[in-house]
Amino acid sequence: MFKAGMLAVVGTAFLESIYMTLISTLLTYIIGLPLGLFLIMTDKEGVRPMPVFHQALGILINILRSIPFLILLVTIMPFTKMVVGTVIGPKAAIVALVVSGAPFVARLVESSLKEVEKGVIEAAQSMGASPLQILVKVLLPEAKPSLLIGSAIAVTTILGYSAMAGFVGGGGLGAVAINYGYYRGQRDVMYVMVVLLVVIVQVLQEMGMQIAKKTDQRL
Amino acid sequence: METKETMIRLEGVSKSFPQKGGSIDVLKEIDLRIEKGEIFGIIGMSGAGKSTLVRCINLLERPTGGLVYLDGKELTCLPEKELRRQRQAMGMIFQQFHLLMQRTALENVCFPLEIAGVSKEKARARAVELLELVGLGERLDAHPSQLSGGQKQRVAIARALATEPKVLLCDEATSALDPNTTAGVLRLLKDINERLGITIVVITHEMSVIREICNRVAIIDEGQIAEMGAVEKIFRAPKTKAGRELVYHEGNNKEAIEGPVEHCYRVVFRGGISGEPILGKMMLECNAVANILSGNTRMIEGRVYGQMMIQLPEEKEIREKMLAYLKAREVEVEEVQYV
Repeated sequence: MFKAGMLAVVGTAFLESIYMTLISTLLTYIIGLPLGLFLIMTDKEGVRPMPVFHQALGILINILRSIPFLILLVTIMPFTKMVVGTVIGPKAAIVALVVSGAPFVARLVESSLKEVEKGVIEAAQSMGASPLQILVKVLLPEAKPSLLIGSAIAVTTILGYSAMAGFVGGGGLGAVAINYGYYRGQRDVMYVMVVLLVVIVQVLQEMGMQIAKKTDQRL
Repeated sequence: METKETMIRLEGVSKSFPQKGGSIDVLKEIDLRIEKGEIFGIIGMSGAGKSTLVRCINLLERPTGGLVYLDGKELTCLPEKELRRQRQAMGMIFQQFHLLMQRTALENVCFPLEIAGVSKEKARARAVELLELVGLGERLDAHPSQLSGGQKQRVAIARALATEPKVLLCDEATSALDPNTTAGVLRLLKDINERLGITIVVITHEMSVIREICNRVAIIDEGQIAEMGAVEKIFRAPKTKAGRELVYHEGNNKEAIEGPVEHCYRVVFRGGISGEPILGKMMLECNAVANILSGNTRMIEGRVYGQMMIQLPEEKEIREKMLAYLKAREVEVEEVQYV
């Protein structure tokens, strides 16, 4: 079934997938985390209510989230070209993954921070804490376990999207599954790719949950 | 008589919340003066506006009208930054404790000190000292999830005291605790008041809490102060309907009998032995029956606390005999016009 050269192809694809996923997740959080924090802080019941800004940001996030990933990938190609100078390969895929992932992460972060009891925030306010202190000393540390679980969801979702990017020359396991498994009819290669993806998702998800559980002091 | 200094003064404080088709007035022109070093109770039934009132003191809620003075300083006109500094002079504790769940007891107490910019070592030393004060010197590194309700509230008290506030605001601080734990927390509050001279404002819907620790009390009803005065005085003779409902029925009986009634007495149990059936024995002894109108007693550590409303017979002789019997026991009896 597997020809000798195939193993090298799969190995490269595997590394590409991991690379795309991790870099994208990192960049996604660099953009998405502050967005989520803005959403929480500027909510009308938040620490620094700014209703107009809050709503505008919400709408922008919803728009980006409602575009299917493959469509987004194609639509933003001019932008991708501008940023990384190419529209194919893992680098190009990362741009699309971040544009699509950041709004998703913003919502994940928002919902994690919303879980922090309002009373705890009120208590901090009663001690004279500033909005920034509440953010850094109350919201983020208290929501940490939930944020970690969210990041496990984010990283696995991004891995899934990265496989989709294979359709349009994004590289990685998805590309191998499409090119060899689908176009050349090598079913076995496709199955191997699927199994690999499943294993990676399981490992990442389980790792996220375990870390979250370990650090949570609520029992 | 010495003139007492004022710690908190509210002048015409109003608060209304916007609602569909108008607004709802939660507080209406509240005037209030709380003296330095006293334990002041604010009692009212749920929805009376007491929680909003206490939040108007540290401006967690901004009053829609009126002025708030803390130790002579008006707060509503202060810019945010200065207000935050003033808030460090007011500790607050809550019904649900609101501790940081991801921090240990010690770290929780350090929290307000971090906010105030105190150095780590100093904060830690102070936190240890405070946790010892509240009786948790052994549980410094416990997380809130490992502590009981009473212990959590003690951590919250230590935390509220960390910045050496002039005032401690207690919002239904014992309402989530069982009677035993409540008694312990109240003793601690009283002790803190006496030892540190901190002015304490207690918000509650339980008259027993007021009776236990407060010097003066204000009864809040529908956003207004129905009556205010020394606790014993309000207890002996509540003048308003809201006052009577709270004092005689602990706010449980909204359908209280209206209008004056004759030969009605309130029997207050203050920790007598519960095994002794005082009222039953009284009736046997006097060979006449009394009518029990309502009762609200509970047992704590084998002793009985609470009160009963009874109506004694028409005949003056029997009545006096019964009263004499009761007065010789571990109870207090007083005649009331309303039940």
